[in-house]
Amino acid sequence: MALTPQDAGRAADGTAVLSGIGTNADAGWLRVHPASPFVRGWVALAALLFFFGRDSFERFLQGGPVFDERLAGRAPWLLLGGGTLLLLTVLGYVLSWYFTRYQVAGGYVRVNTGFLFKQQRQARLDRVQAIDVVQPLLARIFGLAELRFEVADAGQSAVRLAYLRADEARQLRATILARASGAAAGTPAPEPGHPEPGELASGELASAAVEAPEQAVLTVPPPRLLGSLLLSEQSVVILAGGIASVMLSAVTENRNFTVFLIPAAIGLLASYWSSFNRGYNFTAAVSPDGIRLRYGLLDTQAQTVPPGRIQALKVSQPPLWRVFGWYRIQVNVAGYGLASSAGEGSARTTLLPVGSLADVMKILALVLPDPGTEDPVGLFTAGITGLADPAGAPGSAAGRDADGGFVTSPRRARFLAPLGWRRNGFTATETALLLRSGRWWRNFVVVPHQRTQSMALEQGPLARRFRVADLVLHTTAGPVAPRLIQAGLDEARALFDAQAARARAARKHQKSEHWLEPAAQPAAPPAEDPQEGPHHG
Amino acid sequence: MRTEAIDPPGIDWLRVSPKYVTVRLAGWALGTLITVALLSLPLVLVLTGAWTWPPVWLAVALPAVALVLALWRLVLIPRQVRSIGYAEREDDLLIRRGIFFQRTLVVPYGRMQYVDIAVGPVERQLGLCTLKLHTAAAATSAEIPGLPASEGARLRERLSARGEARLAGL
Repeated sequence: MALTPQDAGRAADGTAVLSGIGTNADAGWLRVHPASPFVRGWVALAALLFFFGRDSFERFLQGGPVFDERLAGRAPWLLLGGGTLLLLTVLGYVLSWYFTRYQVAGGYVRVNTGFLFKQQRQARLDRVQAIDVVQPLLARIFGLAELRFEVADAGQSAVRLAYLRADEARQLRATILARASGAAAGTPAPEPGHPEPGELASGELASAAVEAPEQAVLTVPPPRLLGSLLLSEQSVVILAGGIASVMLSAVTENRNFTVFLIPAAIGLLASYWSSFNRGYNFTAAVSPDGIRLRYGLLDTQAQTVPPGRIQALKVSQPPLWRVFGWYRIQVNVAGYGLASSAGEGSARTTLLPVGSLADVMKILALVLPDPGTEDPVGLFTAGITGLADPAGAPGSAAGRDADGGFVTSPRRARFLAPLGWRRNGFTATETALLLRSGRWWRNFVVVPHQRTQSMALEQGPLARRFRVADLVLHTTAGPVAPRLIQAGLDEARALFDAQAARARAARKHQKSEHWLEPAAQPAAPPAEDPQEGPHHG
Repeated sequence: MRTEAIDPPGIDWLRVSPKYVTVRLAGWALGTLITVALLSLPLVLVLTGAWTWPPVWLAVALPAVALVLALWRLVLIPRQVRSIGYAEREDDLLIRRGIFFQRTLVVPYGRMQYVDIAVGPVERQLGLCTLKLHTAAAATSAEIPGLPASEGARLRERLSARGEARLAGL
């Protein structure tokens, strides 16, 4: 059910590959939890029961006959129809459960689905871009969790296993990450602990199923989350809209439109609630397998992004957050794709919903373990809050303002961007290109040299008049669109050449997809990590 | 064609076939015909007396303005085609285009995921093709239109070979 036939066509090199031939057909195929179709399809079942059951139930409570007198003759038919529908639905669920099987073996994760239209899908483990363990409220009540395996195709998840038992899902995640990192590729470790017989059908699966130890880095306290929501861009728009409508009502003396405010208010509350629900209890941690994020009040989600999977990062600050010095961090990860649906998508690409400058630095240190500069904190601070000297460097025709190392727009561009010209700028460290922009809406973008896909210089007629140009870096789909705004022409051209060379050099030094080769792997701790509480997804 | 300001210096641009102007003209003619025909509808309706509201001068002005804009674009087409250029460098491919809004794109060979060749009906008549490069970034949108078919095939093979030699992950 999670894998639809439309997904089947998207076969690309090293990503999800559909193959009609079964390989390793009998080695360690497992099924998802039997309750999962009911947890996924509970809405349909509930609607069915509600439709057929409510009327009868109410009559039963009122002490009347269970069926309306007028319908009494037809009652058996109604019952039969409803029963058949229910039976068919349940049968469909059971069949879909029975024919959904998965396997982790030989460097691949494979999933077979469907009983009429069969689909077999396999994805290479070392191409993993991210692994999420998602627990919607109902699944959480039953102790179930969904595992999502992302590869780089910027669309839907390559592999979704819904649902597994929560501990099983975590174990599978650990296994996949251990395989993908190369830590468990060589010698399979002896089976740790007491694996439950139903859970670990294959000894191979059990071999590496120890969670990598992790270290909590930061949490977002709920009051701050609430404050950040109240001061978000959305609130500014609402406030403006509210003032406008009050003014309008005062001018036109027409009170009728207040009727429309009620559904609007309900919608707004729902939107705030869903943001709060998603961002609640946000925790970032670091482990050898990458960055771990956990969040959610009712629906919880735990993401693992292995090292080097972040394609671009953006630190931004809406104007009202400046009062408290708060920032937000969003990232492009190849598997997550564009945050088109405002709900889930944007949460998954948010690395920090709200945090102080110190929190931002911690996250930046996680994402860029090797910043490639002497003074990363100073440079990042200049990127986030810096502003060039208004006078500009005297005598420099190119207007090179070395503000903490940032080269900003030349002074001649101040007519194009009267506020932003002192802010728009770039600098490059040995490992990443840093871009900053925006006076009111501060933005600071980091693109590792290794991750640059392609670049373009763009110049319109007005920009040509002022001898400035924009440099656009292309990365995978996501909320971050790196763009250097109005750099001086000479600087932009120099950067264009230099950046192509840097990206080329970085690609040559790129490490393998296995981020932990067996040699570098420290002895895995035998016990489950103490951080891994029952609350975690 | 002189080198524009944002292009890296010292590049020998390869230009696309001049016949590509014909392809663009065909597209232009079709687009203009449809636009002007649609915008002329009010004029026809006013002249036949079905509509009374738009005065005749307005009904005439609407398609006339569209026609003038289209003619302006027509004048630009040959120059736009001449501004399209590409250059194979050691490690990357450069593509440029545009007169007013210029864009110079660099795609490293190692980043190419796949190469497409597309041929439209008019292009087929003229023996041309359009080459498209795809990287992991959707925004790349690197395409070279109006290549002679043989040159397109040569470039595709060459790019694939170079991409394979310099293949990098994401």
